[in-house]
Amino acid sequence: MFYQPNVIEEALGLKAELKDGGTFIAGGTDVVVLMNHGKAAPENFIDLTHIPELRAIHRHDGALELAGNVTYAQAGKLPVRCLALASLSVGGPGIRELGTLAGNLASASPAGDGSTALLALDAEVELTSVRGARRLPLDKFFLAYRKTALAVDEMITKITVPTTYRSDWSKNGKRGAMNISIVAAAVAITPKKETRIALASVAATPIRCYKAEKFLTENGLNAGTIRQAAEIVRTEIRPITDHRASADYKVHLSGVMVRRLLENLVKA
Amino acid sequence: MSQPIDNLEEAVARLHVASKSSSAYESGPRKVVGKSAERLDAVEKATGETKYGQDLFDKKFLFAKVLRAAHPHAEILRIDTREAKKLPGVVAVITHSDVTGTNMHGLIRRDQEVLCSRKVRYLGDALAVVVAKTEEIAIEALGRIKVDYKPLPNILTMEDALKPDAPKIHTEGNVLGEKHLRRGDAPAAMREADVVVEDIIQTQTVDHAFLDLEAGRARYDGKMLTIEVAGQWLHEERRLIALAIGLPLEQLRLIQPATGGAFGGREDISIQIYLSLAALKLKGKTICLRYSRSESMVARHKRHPMRVHYKLGAKKDGTLVAAQVTFYVDKGAYASTGIAAMRKASSHATGPYKVPNVWADVIGVFTNNNPCGAMRGFGAVQTAIAYEGLMDRLAVKLGMDKAELRMKNLIHSGDAVTTGQIVPNATGVECFEAVLKKIDWKNRSYETAAPHLKRGYGVSVICFGLGYGDGFPDASRARCKLTADGMVEVYSSGIDVGQGLINMIAQIVAEEVGVPLERVRPILADTQLTPESGSTSATRQTYFTGSAVQLAASELKKQLQDIAAAHLEELVYEIKIDNGEAYNVFRPERRLTLRELAREGKRRGFSLEAMGVYKPPTVPEDTATGQSMRAFVTYLFGSHACQVLVDTETGEVKVERYIACHDVGKAINPDQVIGQIQGGVTQGIGMVLMEEVVMKDGKIMNPGFTDYILPTIRDVPEIECIVLENPDPGGPFGARGVGEPPLIACGPAVMSAIQDAIGKPIRILPATPERVWRTISEK
Repeated sequence: MFYQPNVIEEALGLKAELKDGGTFIAGGTDVVVLMNHGKAAPENFIDLTHIPELRAIHRHDGALELAGNVTYAQAGKLPVRCLALASLSVGGPGIRELGTLAGNLASASPAGDGSTALLALDAEVELTSVRGARRLPLDKFFLAYRKTALAVDEMITKITVPTTYRSDWSKNGKRGAMNISIVAAAVAITPKKETRIALASVAATPIRCYKAEKFLTENGLNAGTIRQAAEIVRTEIRPITDHRASADYKVHLSGVMVRRLLENLVKA
Repeated sequence: MSQPIDNLEEAVARLHVASKSSSAYESGPRKVVGKSAERLDAVEKATGETKYGQDLFDKKFLFAKVLRAAHPHAEILRIDTREAKKLPGVVAVITHSDVTGTNMHGLIRRDQEVLCSRKVRYLGDALAVVVAKTEEIAIEALGRIKVDYKPLPNILTMEDALKPDAPKIHTEGNVLGEKHLRRGDAPAAMREADVVVEDIIQTQTVDHAFLDLEAGRARYDGKMLTIEVAGQWLHEERRLIALAIGLPLEQLRLIQPATGGAFGGREDISIQIYLSLAALKLKGKTICLRYSRSESMVARHKRHPMRVHYKLGAKKDGTLVAAQVTFYVDKGAYASTGIAAMRKASSHATGPYKVPNVWADVIGVFTNNNPCGAMRGFGAVQTAIAYEGLMDRLAVKLGMDKAELRMKNLIHSGDAVTTGQIVPNATGVECFEAVLKKIDWKNRSYETAAPHLKRGYGVSVICFGLGYGDGFPDASRARCKLTADGMVEVYSSGIDVGQGLINMIAQIVAEEVGVPLERVRPILADTQLTPESGSTSATRQTYFTGSAVQLAASELKKQLQDIAAAHLEELVYEIKIDNGEAYNVFRPERRLTLRELAREGKRRGFSLEAMGVYKPPTVPEDTATGQSMRAFVTYLFGSHACQVLVDTETGEVKVERYIACHDVGKAINPDQVIGQIQGGVTQGIGMVLMEEVVMKDGKIMNPGFTDYILPTIRDVPEIECIVLENPDPGGPFGARGVGEPPLIACGPAVMSAIQDAIGKPIRILPATPERVWRTISEK
């Protein structure tokens, strides 16, 4: 069955009622690909695209609240540099019109472009079910390879990101666009001058590099500390060798990318 | 340097011109040829009306699916289809035991079973065809076919295949064959060379990646089996299907649907025989079959990966004296067109350079990887990357400018290429001069914005023998006909796979007969209607089919002049046909329209139809030495130059500027020529920087466009094209062709630029960021 609820409550009700849990579908840019590859065959879909409030972006004091169905195209226009850059790097225009940030989080791809940006921004997610809503910092959301803290009856209804961070983002692939990243990296500096570093495609989930962050927060940002932090990043990640690139190249690249992003951030 | 053969060539060439065109002695501007007329298929393609293979499907038809091998190398013990047949909706399950023909196919050597009976040799081998009411049911039924295998050791590398105790993939062994070239005494000359460079270059497995996946339909009505599937040479495909399924040729009709790309990927048989078997079994039913992207990649042949050992010797002043080359060619599981691609490698071993002593050996080795066969450039792509790569290494070693080194050694008109064939019209120097001028070679700047960014400049010069060559029968035929409604119909089996053959043919006919382009109606690629015109490959359609079309059109025009002369009571040699009307040049007021000519011709019983056949001869190679006085009908020359920026920390390469020059003889439709050049360069950039079929244990690890990385618009700069037109005496209006050379010249130019930027050559393709970084990091 293909359900098309018009309000969030109805969607959550369906999610709780349906025996197989039902599969939320917004842009379908992940689940349809899985279906095409024979890796998923959901019986029930709950379409979220007819719920207007899930498209909403609200601005609060120093923060943006992005509802669950905000697309990459929408996020690409936000005044949050790393999130906008990450969003604009996803696929082509067609994919960005359909694919959603929350969908990217829920599928928990280790290569999630949006995930790195949101991690570096200390984003919080609101997970809602018929039982109620709870908030979770994003770094507690990814549990293991393609596993998240989402309960079977829950939906990502909101993502909260600060607008007060200075940030930057980049990704590396074999071509100039439409890449699944070899490495994606996001960096941010909080108003309290703390550093955030997040990487994708270098571990089972998108990750934060806490040790490097701590080092920089304690020692300040300058050319020397940035180089040292980049070295720490190299030890914090656990990439695998696959058909996209070898593990040692990913380690090398992570160091280079984090260093360059931080250098640019200091310069700016 | 005039030798007797040179004069003979010219004499033969002049004969061609004289016989081909009725207007050979007319001067004055061309009206249709040489103009970028809008493509005749543009509107219907842009509006979506064009019917490609999948557009021929209908829910009321039956759908087929193919069962593929579960092991890259295994004996088949038993195929049990009983459970599959029981599935409701399944109409038929076909295996080798249902095949009444030879069950064998293959373009040069019939070495591949259509449906395997005893053995599978790669994961794309087929074992059964299921026909069902829907595609979903057919897919489900595939899972119910039980096959018992006895797995054999997988042979995945050429080293393993060549071991004396290696299991034999084919009964005759693991070597497909060898090609040799012996010109002078290369080892002796090498010993006396002042400078010698040597290297090993490894190219990768490349996929054609055309957008329009294999799809089509077939129906047998008891008298005629009609197959609508995109191929590249319908008449050869018809011969192969007839043999495999055991139906007489005249009961087979092949019709080409509109086709979205081929690049050699449709040369080998794809779904035609599966469809034929199903249609034959289910008389009166229409059967549809299509591949998914992954099935297309898994089943289809690829570009040969080659390992090229290249040794090049020169005098101190840069004059080349010797080349010794060994090519190891991974054939994959079946022969396909491999032996011809191997010959292309040996016959192009030193490209457009004058090397008096050349020894080349090519060995084709079977493995359990995907079979390798035709792909745009056909053995010359890998070879050009090798010889141009070695020229760059030689320039570095000599401390000489690489452009100067090339210029010094390029052949000129009247010089011979590696096969001993004299090239009467060698324009490599002209092409090279044009790109060097455009890129301002002498003043190139290496300045960059940051120390980790390095700039590099690359150049390449190539030559390419057009057509099948080496004495292989190579002919195109065409028929022109004036219809009662005053249209000039042209019939040919030349296949437009998107490159623009329709316009090429129509513009030649319009020009030759003297009618506006809209009065020409091309009728193409239907074995029941159109005469055989060879394959769309080897850059041959403009030269061969264009010539056949011009011959037919010229004959038709002469007949129309006869009709006009008779009706107007004028002298035939004073009759001109222009803009669709016939008149006496001295008394232009008396005119006949095409419609009137048709009516008059019919009334008088004059022929309104003419045939053209173009079959210029080539000479087989001497198998021991690879020498041939006319291995190819003509040679194409081209030269590229490019500028790249390498990020030495990440290994990323950005092509900043690209210039491509090709001598096409005559651009029948200049925009289409430029389209071909730009497409070829884009494909070349893809091959050199990112494209690679990653094989592991005989399995393709990236069978789709998520991980088989093709270039995007961000990876390709504006391609600046220079089109030279030195007329070829054998081609229509002097045209040669342009299909393959732009891709062949691109790889070496980009490789050359990367080497220039980082100071080291990349030895293994593609030059991915990781590989470039690794090369920079190596001590």
